[in-house]
Amino acid sequence: MAVRPYWKGYLKLSLVTCPVQMMPATSESEKVRFHTLNRETQNRVVSHYVDSVTGKEVRDEDEVKGYQRGENEYVMLEDDELENVALDSTKTIDISTFTPRDSVEWIWLDTPYYLSPNDPVGQEAFSVIRDAMEAQDMVGISRLVISRRERAVMLEPRGKGIVLWTLRYGDEVREEDTYFAGIDDDETADSEMMPLVQQLIKKQTQHWNPKLVIDPVQDRLLDMIADKKKALKKTSKAKAKAPASAPGPNNVINIMEALKKSVAAETRAGK
Amino acid sequence: MVAPRANWKGFIKFGEVSCPVALYTAASSSERIAFNTLNRQTGNRVRREFVDSETGDPVERDDQVKGYEIENGQYIILEPEEVAAAVPDSDKTLKIDAFVPCNEIDGVYFDKPYYLAPDKMGTDAFVLLRDGMKKAKVAAIARTVLFRRMRTVLVRPRGKGLIATTLNFDYEVRSSEEAFEELPDLKIEGEMLELAEHIIGTKKGSFDASAFDDRYEAAVAELVKAKIEGRALPKKKAPPASKPSDLLQALRESAGIGGKKAEPKRTAANANKGASRQKTSKPAAGAKSKSAAAPTRHAG
Repeated sequence: MAVRPYWKGYLKLSLVTCPVQMMPATSESEKVRFHTLNRETQNRVVSHYVDSVTGKEVRDEDEVKGYQRGENEYVMLEDDELENVALDSTKTIDISTFTPRDSVEWIWLDTPYYLSPNDPVGQEAFSVIRDAMEAQDMVGISRLVISRRERAVMLEPRGKGIVLWTLRYGDEVREEDTYFAGIDDDETADSEMMPLVQQLIKKQTQHWNPKLVIDPVQDRLLDMIADKKKALKKTSKAKAKAPASAPGPNNVINIMEALKKSVAAETRAGK
Repeated sequence: MVAPRANWKGFIKFGEVSCPVALYTAASSSERIAFNTLNRQTGNRVRREFVDSETGDPVERDDQVKGYEIENGQYIILEPEEVAAAVPDSDKTLKIDAFVPCNEIDGVYFDKPYYLAPDKMGTDAFVLLRDGMKKAKVAAIARTVLFRRMRTVLVRPRGKGLIATTLNFDYEVRSSEEAFEELPDLKIEGEMLELAEHIIGTKKGSFDASAFDDRYEAAVAELVKAKIEGRALPKKKAPPASKPSDLLQALRESAGIGGKKAEPKRTAANANKGASRQKTSKPAAGAKSKSAAAPTRHAG
């Protein structure tokens, strides 16, 4: 199904340029979607803009962006004026640097997009850039203006396309040392327990698959809706919930015991 | 130094072993440049109002409820308590359901990262899990109620501690195969690929987040200044796309073959059409020597 591109522009490597388009890799469209209703009338609630001074409704076409210059002083900016902002990175992803794929740590990855050629004419140029990164096991680093911020972005070949990641700003990732200060620098795992942990991990290791990220709550909501639909008039009671209990922490002495139990349980389960 | 505040406290549990842990936000989002929405006619700011779509009357916050549309115009109302009841009670435990090899994990599912550190005394079980995963090169998949939502979390070692990344649900992620399925199978080989690899080699570097600056806000300020002074900023023109017939030449010039970067003056006539797409060309010694031999360069 064709999805409207989120962004259109150019991918550039030195003198090689091709038209590309981009769409977010995540989507809200499959989520159970609610509308806001007025409880009194059961009609949909809609939002609109009113003039803060006159109180009158403002038509969509009369809405315009305002850049604040003083307390009550604004400069209107039309969208096509903003297009002319003097940065090439609004329209062109010019790959400035390449770096080994695993040198950019996961913590820097922010939002993923799928990047693909936007015109058959650029297909080959796009493929050259993609395949060369793949062959070198490299990712490209560039700049791109997305939603009114200039972001560092990473381009990673994936199948026939490229995944573009926005990368977090330096000051957005907090210093880990603060959080891990309570852990001894040279504390390592008990060598006697290591083989048992390895055994447990091995027994519980599986291949990545999207089933690992199913959402039981969405299913439950859909069930609730189906129930209500069946008995439109009746109010269905929320299911009684079992009281939750937290497990006690394991102290040092019984970790070994617990590990042995775990491995035994996994062995039984595995047969 | 003040100890940072945990966003969540609970337990992590693998097999029968559990230990108390805390989660801390690892990354925050910085603000983007804020515009106000104005009424073009009056220049006044606008504000949002919620109204009944039929009667046009304003609807108070308390009267706004969630409705699921079953048929055109017919809704099932779910009260906030009911929606909340669909979320299981929190047992405050990140229970590890599975381990997954690190190299198989699809990053597209990543949502937000949190530092996961031991809470209170006794880091033995924590360190055991950390080092066990490190050695096996796996990450753990755990599930728990976080901030009143059921979340799946990916836990992996990082330095002395662990990082827990919340994951998007399967239905929130588009498959890359589907996104790219209409692209032709085009595999680049031969000279073109080698030239491109050579160019990559000349641009090798590393990503340094601290050296990166967002220039957008300053650029908008410049734009506003120009507007006030009655100057128009030059319109951006689209860069010329590299046509398949020009591609090889563009690559050669990019690779700096035969001298300095010249104006990208290319004509279809000199473009050694298609030669590079076949496996026929075999520039063994890399792009440099090949380049010297390339007869296609125009001085401009």
